[in-house]
Amino acid sequence: MLVGIDIGGTFTDLVYFDGSNFGVVKVLTTPKRPAVGALNAIEKAGINLGNVKILVHATTLGTNLFLGQEHLKPPKVALVTTKGFRDVIEIGRQRRTELYNLFFEKPKPLLRRRDRFEVEERINSKGEVVVPLNEEEMRRIAEIIKERGYDIVVVSFINSYVNPKHELKAKEILEELCGIEVVTSHEVNPEYKEFERTSTTLVNAFLKPLMSKYLNELISELRSRGFRGRFYVMQSSGGIANVEMAVEKPAMFIESGPSAGAVAVAFFSELTGDRNAIGFDMGGTTAKASTIVDHTPEVTTEYEVGGKVHAGRLVKGSGYPVRFPFIDLAEVSAGGGTIAWVDEGGALRVGPISAGADPGPACYGKGDKATITDANLVLGRLGERLGSGMRLDKERALKAIGKLADELGMDVTEVAWGIVRIANTIMSKALRMVTVERGHDPRDFVMFAFGGAGPMHGVELGEELNVKAVVIPPNAGVFSAYGLLLADLRVDLVKSWLKPAKEDEMEEEFDGMAKKALESIKMSDVKIFKAVDLRYKGQSYEITVPWLGVEESERIFHERHEALYGFRLDDDVEFVNLRVTAIGFVDKPKPVGKEVEEHEPKPEYSREVFFGDWFETPVFKREMLKPGAVIEGQAIVESYDTVIVIPPDFRAFVDGWGNVRVVR
Amino acid sequence: MITVEVIRNSTEFIAEEMGIVLRNTAYSPNIKDRLDFSCAIVSREGDLVAQAEHIPVHLGSLAVGAKNFVECIEEFEDAIYVTNDPYVAGTHLNDVMLLKPVFYKELICFVVNKAHHVDVGGTTPGSMSMDARDLYAEGLIIPPTKLDDKVMEFIKANVRTSNFVGDLKAQIASLKVGEKRILELIDKFGVETLLDSWREAMDYTERLTKAKIEKLGEFECEGVDYVEYEKPLNINVRVVSKGKIFVDFSGTHKQVKAPLNAVFGVTVASTSFALKAVLDPDLPMNHGFLRAIEIYAPEGTLVNPIKPAPVSAGNVETSQRIVDAIFKALAEIFEIPAASHGSMNNVIIGGEGWAFYETLGGGSGARPNGDGIDGIHVNMTNTMNTPVEVIEREYPIMVLEYSLREDSGGAGKFRGGLGIRRVYKLLSDATLSIIADRVKIAPWGLKGGKEGERGEHYVLRNGNRIELSGKETIELKAGDIVVVNTPGGGGYGDPKERDRSRILEDLEDGKVSEEYVRRWFGEV
Repeated sequence: MLVGIDIGGTFTDLVYFDGSNFGVVKVLTTPKRPAVGALNAIEKAGINLGNVKILVHATTLGTNLFLGQEHLKPPKVALVTTKGFRDVIEIGRQRRTELYNLFFEKPKPLLRRRDRFEVEERINSKGEVVVPLNEEEMRRIAEIIKERGYDIVVVSFINSYVNPKHELKAKEILEELCGIEVVTSHEVNPEYKEFERTSTTLVNAFLKPLMSKYLNELISELRSRGFRGRFYVMQSSGGIANVEMAVEKPAMFIESGPSAGAVAVAFFSELTGDRNAIGFDMGGTTAKASTIVDHTPEVTTEYEVGGKVHAGRLVKGSGYPVRFPFIDLAEVSAGGGTIAWVDEGGALRVGPISAGADPGPACYGKGDKATITDANLVLGRLGERLGSGMRLDKERALKAIGKLADELGMDVTEVAWGIVRIANTIMSKALRMVTVERGHDPRDFVMFAFGGAGPMHGVELGEELNVKAVVIPPNAGVFSAYGLLLADLRVDLVKSWLKPAKEDEMEEEFDGMAKKALESIKMSDVKIFKAVDLRYKGQSYEITVPWLGVEESERIFHERHEALYGFRLDDDVEFVNLRVTAIGFVDKPKPVGKEVEEHEPKPEYSREVFFGDWFETPVFKREMLKPGAVIEGQAIVESYDTVIVIPPDFRAFVDGWGNVRVVR
Repeated sequence: MITVEVIRNSTEFIAEEMGIVLRNTAYSPNIKDRLDFSCAIVSREGDLVAQAEHIPVHLGSLAVGAKNFVECIEEFEDAIYVTNDPYVAGTHLNDVMLLKPVFYKELICFVVNKAHHVDVGGTTPGSMSMDARDLYAEGLIIPPTKLDDKVMEFIKANVRTSNFVGDLKAQIASLKVGEKRILELIDKFGVETLLDSWREAMDYTERLTKAKIEKLGEFECEGVDYVEYEKPLNINVRVVSKGKIFVDFSGTHKQVKAPLNAVFGVTVASTSFALKAVLDPDLPMNHGFLRAIEIYAPEGTLVNPIKPAPVSAGNVETSQRIVDAIFKALAEIFEIPAASHGSMNNVIIGGEGWAFYETLGGGSGARPNGDGIDGIHVNMTNTMNTPVEVIEREYPIMVLEYSLREDSGGAGKFRGGLGIRRVYKLLSDATLSIIADRVKIAPWGLKGGKEGERGEHYVLRNGNRIELSGKETIELKAGDIVVVNTPGGGGYGDPKERDRSRILEDLEDGKVSEEYVRRWFGEV
């Protein structure tokens, strides 16, 4: 038995695979003691913990700490920097996040100025000592740190990525005199750019005590109830980690829940034989998009914890940078609960404000604001009774949208249709962003649409982007939790190079990194991937290519640059970072595909649905659809957790894995 | 009507996508890391249809520049066009503007971008010399012309940095993507619908802006602020709200024989920034917005000079002060923050074959509801800093300090933000240009709030201190140390009303000294 548990802000999702079938359970999260919610889910699913071989866990605990949740008390952290640079962490990149807002705020510095200490020392960009570490001063600082009762100390010196000598010496002194944990920046993130390196190290330090306590508690609870299997934690990179790794670098699994969705898409794209896929996950308040190339989710090497989102992208400077691999997710404030409104210029607008879960869309019976869900209901795309049994109040939805219609001098249906179209335009922006930013053309992709609202908009969005097909996976409403059961163990290491390329020296460095990765993974079935970040000298954005020796890697870089940006140059190529990724392969579910026999299923009934005009539209129940079923649009497919909308001129096909595949 | 909204959103996104391509492919850190560029779609009449939000000083100026540019060319071919003439393009010579007409049987529109190139020739590395007495000294002037290989070679032969061509290629790649996306929109909606929707989107923006203006009510106010030169240069402004907003710069100092003149495009940009901030930060930016405001800037003044007056610093410093003058006027009526550090604090250091340029933040003005922000960019710029470890790898410079400047925030019920201290040590001989303001005249406070600390610059050579004026170009020797102290923000409200807990927090964090506390709040 394989089990995945995702503890989110509102719900705790549990998925399991019993050898032939997947199962899903949803319970409420218990914020003060998250372990309770996890145990509730296990009980509800009727799982005997003694039979569980592997348990994979995802949590939003890390994010919540930085969003300042009350019951999470951050540890007392001290920072020691090179003399003259204690404010680097506060100044950040000196940008404001909102151009025209005179009342903007900067994210609060990770630690107050009084908790930041400076010591005399200096190493230059070549790694030469310019000013030796003033050990006497370092000792004095250590005494103060001890006296003030900090929990953990971070040391971050300028140019330590080239030569860590001073950081190591400082660590030695601090450990000796303070007797508390000391973390240095070159250990956590040996890359250049002092602000990002210091921030990554600090975020990590803040999470450390909390995460180790939390995980230890959870594991001992599980063990005491008979769990004997292996325990892993989902990382933001899409891999999983063992507990030692998770406790060592907790910042690596800050966004682990959402990244599971991309992992699930990667796995299913392999089943369906689609090389390139876009994962489109639309829920109640936001829509998230990821890209999967060759069945591998694309990752970004920098992320901002607690950052704000604009037009699908994190606004630089709005959160705390962490330079670890994160699955690259674009996010927009468009979900079922997103509110439509009329602005002072008399235009219909959708979002970014959401009615959330409470009061929710007007048709839920509490609120009176028109939302995307209300528009879908008015247009007949949603039925008045959901698959889960919940009743929707159509009168209320009509009234809410009617109010907008009066303001606009338009017909109710027209406005509802407008809401859906505008929402689709906004979401297609985010989807295009994740693809074009990385030099892809959406036309080479298949879109997997999931989440509670994803399958309702997926096909039209796919049309807008010109993707090859839209696939709605089984259990689309909780699909992303599947990813927990589908990931491999993964360790990522990075080291700045930034000097002339020398093949044997680089090989040596790679060997050292690989050894370190293998040590932390502790498994036999492991594969090592080596890569390098390259750029033209003078540029500042790198492209990661596989390491195949200096010459070959450079050749691939030129090719990739041309493919991404349309030109190549004869200039020198610079090796910026060396990267090692170790993948340890774990047992994963092997779902069995069912026999496909083409046939035309019978609809349950039909209703009027609006697609630019009212059409009599057959409605199918998803659980009744067998592999091989072919449905000609227009059609509606309802399931307990979502609704698939198939517009006129589209054709849907159910494959052996239970996916509904829609093409024009 | 829904189609209009769909096309408006899509067009805005095309501008953003052009920005992504430009950033991804550019060479120089100034464009890639500091994002000193802008992209836009312009109608065939030269009206701004959509612009990506990158940097405020390009905002209104791109609209003015694109219109001028379009009017300069008699008949467009299917080619790339270039100019950097500030009196056309609307900012300064460093901002090189590229434009490509988009044809679909007939001329449909233009895709445009503008990027700040670190060097465009002229007397000083970085092309922003305080000694320039006319435009010719500031660098190569490229009149509106077709950009072919020969022109490219010609430009290349006149600039100091080798990145120039790489960056121009990135600008071209960005235009090509923009063109492609416009053609895709046409395939989907047809020419007629597209053009109608663009027109309607501008009308809508005009309606929306006017509705916001109406909400502010009718008013009239005046303000004056100063740019420092040999003597203070006054910028006078009168703002009238009556259906539209009228901004009148009559009475402003006449143009000067120094690069502090702001071409009209910059004046439009600064005015647009100030008004957008007050009306609604989320207003869409297109020609419709500009139709709701009217600007009068007399010719031959600091805010609308006549060619060939030099302009490089008008773009970076005078632009900031135009905003301050407008804010000062509006502060009589609305709740507005005190003056910010109000300078881009430009530092340009260059030697043989290299040029380094950066702008530094300072303190933002205290707000009616809280302290100003420490160490941040304000008003017309928002570029990122260059990491110390990047500077030290790429240039013969070592940074000795980068910190917040204690005691520099103006006292008040709410404190002004702190300025920044940045200290550079030169490892080889070089030329230094500093262009900074608020060195003589401090950022003002409001409602009893005190002034922020002024900016301060000097060079340490063999233990001697050489004071700099804030607007100067000097030769440096290896080993020289340059100290830049940027101004703090003005305070808001009477210092006597400041919360004791806030005073103590600041003291404990070393953001203010005991002396500062004694001076403004009595005993500690």
